[in-house]
Amino acid sequence: MPQRAEAGYRLHRLLAVLTWLARQGRAPVSELADRFGLSPDELIADLELAACCGLPPYTPDQLMEIMVDDEEVVANLGPELARPRRLTAAEGFALVTAARAIEAVPGTDPDGSLARGLEKLETVLGDRGRLRIDLGEPPFLAELRQATEDGAQIELGYYSASSDEESLRVVDPLNVVTLDGRWYLDGYCHRAGDMRRFRVDRVLSVTATGKTVPHPGPDGAAEDGSEHRTPDVGEAAFVPGPDATVARVAVDDAALWLVDALPHLDIDPLPDGRTVIGLAVASTVWFDRLLLRLGPHAEVLDPPELMASGRQAALRLLARYQGGH
Amino acid sequence: MVDRLERLTDLVLVLLRDERPKPLREIAAEVPGYPAEGEARRQAFERDKRTLRAGGVEITASPIDGPEQVGYLIRPDDFYLPDLDLTPDEQAALNLAVAGVHLGDPSGRDALWRLGLPASAGVRPFADLAALPALPVLYDAVRHRATVTFDYRGDRRHVAPALLRFRGGWWYMVGFDLDKEASRTFRVDRMDGEATVGEPGSAVVPDSFDPAAAHPEETWRMGEEEAVSVDVLVDAGLAPLVVAEVGQSTVRQRRDDGAVVVRLEVTNVAMLRSWVLELGEHAEVLGPESVRGAMVSWLEATAAGTTERAVD
Repeated sequence: MPQRAEAGYRLHRLLAVLTWLARQGRAPVSELADRFGLSPDELIADLELAACCGLPPYTPDQLMEIMVDDEEVVANLGPELARPRRLTAAEGFALVTAARAIEAVPGTDPDGSLARGLEKLETVLGDRGRLRIDLGEPPFLAELRQATEDGAQIELGYYSASSDEESLRVVDPLNVVTLDGRWYLDGYCHRAGDMRRFRVDRVLSVTATGKTVPHPGPDGAAEDGSEHRTPDVGEAAFVPGPDATVARVAVDDAALWLVDALPHLDIDPLPDGRTVIGLAVASTVWFDRLLLRLGPHAEVLDPPELMASGRQAALRLLARYQGGH
Repeated sequence: MVDRLERLTDLVLVLLRDERPKPLREIAAEVPGYPAEGEARRQAFERDKRTLRAGGVEITASPIDGPEQVGYLIRPDDFYLPDLDLTPDEQAALNLAVAGVHLGDPSGRDALWRLGLPASAGVRPFADLAALPALPVLYDAVRHRATVTFDYRGDRRHVAPALLRFRGGWWYMVGFDLDKEASRTFRVDRMDGEATVGEPGSAVVPDSFDPAAAHPEETWRMGEEEAVSVDVLVDAGLAPLVVAEVGQSTVRQRRDDGAVVVRLEVTNVAMLRSWVLELGEHAEVLGPESVRGAMVSWLEATAAGTTERAVD
């Protein structure tokens, strides 16, 4: 439902409330409002309106039988309204994708209630395995998920591409998320003294320290009231820090595909047909490697101290190729 | 003055009750709130139709006898799904799935509403799958075995789609290219403009077509070049991560210092180059000479700082 014309959206929501009521018969106002993301007043207004709807001649016996007081809604709506309604293409896609994504998480029971529910859904939608999701399974994923679930503090061996270093750090694991095809561990890093997001495919080792950590609450805040908050899954995996340098790089069309996938700050066309992108450079190692991949299709326009980065990185790597192996 | 929501609700109930198409005159007599006559009434009804369609409720126009010639109805098959008979634990599992997977719009929640399974709040999403606007259209085409026509890298493509697939952060459509008569994989985010979908059942693929086999696993296998086996040396520090990514079976050699040589089957050398360069100075293409030479040329062009398209 991309266009939410106000009345259309209200009707969609009202029909959903009526479907639920037709099945349940009665429900507390507060619970019903909560389930549908409404205030109790909005809910009561919609239901009072619905109680005036029905079929001609709109005599009381032809209106919907809904009684509302401050505490509870009681309804007798008949079987038709209780039936599931047809899904739009976007809704069918979203529901099957969500279920398939959960199934793709390593360790999900392939014969569990989700699989059974999905099979019923796909039978009705005519899907049958025409949508496949692969979330990958880096080596330490299972250990990290288990540690997160158990609230077990860990010592993490980690390769950081931005510093090109291996490190050992004590981490309180708080959440394991998958974002744009990669798994990440969100946790409090004792070495950094702050929240960090780690790529699971760069984890080299996981060892329990024997200590436990408090579970984060539903909003991501730590339950002990401390200031650390687990980021939401959709929050950018890379957030430029205050000390990041902003580089402006001109790329031609042949390299645009690579740039598409980067978290760029802005993107503008140049008169010569190239595109200039703004990138936050927190790590020169990362930037050098990006420039190697862009190769002769990119030119750093700014700042001056980074203009030779790509050339120098290429010379260093050429030395390896020329030095024999 | 009748609230528009009330008029829409009555309209749905009235059109659902009768399985025969009804002329607008009759509808307006039964549903309170329409203007009395003529063009204003027609416009109000057309607006309601659009609003309902945007909300997934389809009103069908159908020829009838009589002066108005056109009647309207909501077909039960357009409005209802067959009952799913979901058990409570299956409902709960679908609820959790929608809450746990972020797709960038509320379509999943809307789906639960339409099925009568409203989710309760309180679950944090753990997955974000970068949904694209084209996906529902393509999903419909795949489900209904309908052909898809779209622009891709400057070419018009006609494809019998077989599978939608998410992998490595990208959505792909796997299908049988009807012009090239071969299986092809397309990145959905690189399709230009809107895809045109044919009639249900219009997509016919040969029996021998296997969509699972059509999708190459790695980026360097997503090409149409002649396959070449490329050996890549990876230093000890990154060796375990790279082996985990490309698989034990690719390891040709383990050196005393912990470095490994992996052998990769490549049909897209540019993608391989990009992957190797992401490993910085910790990896090196050993051979064959053609691929190693191309890598050296690429690096020389980069080192020269020319922005001419000297390589590729």
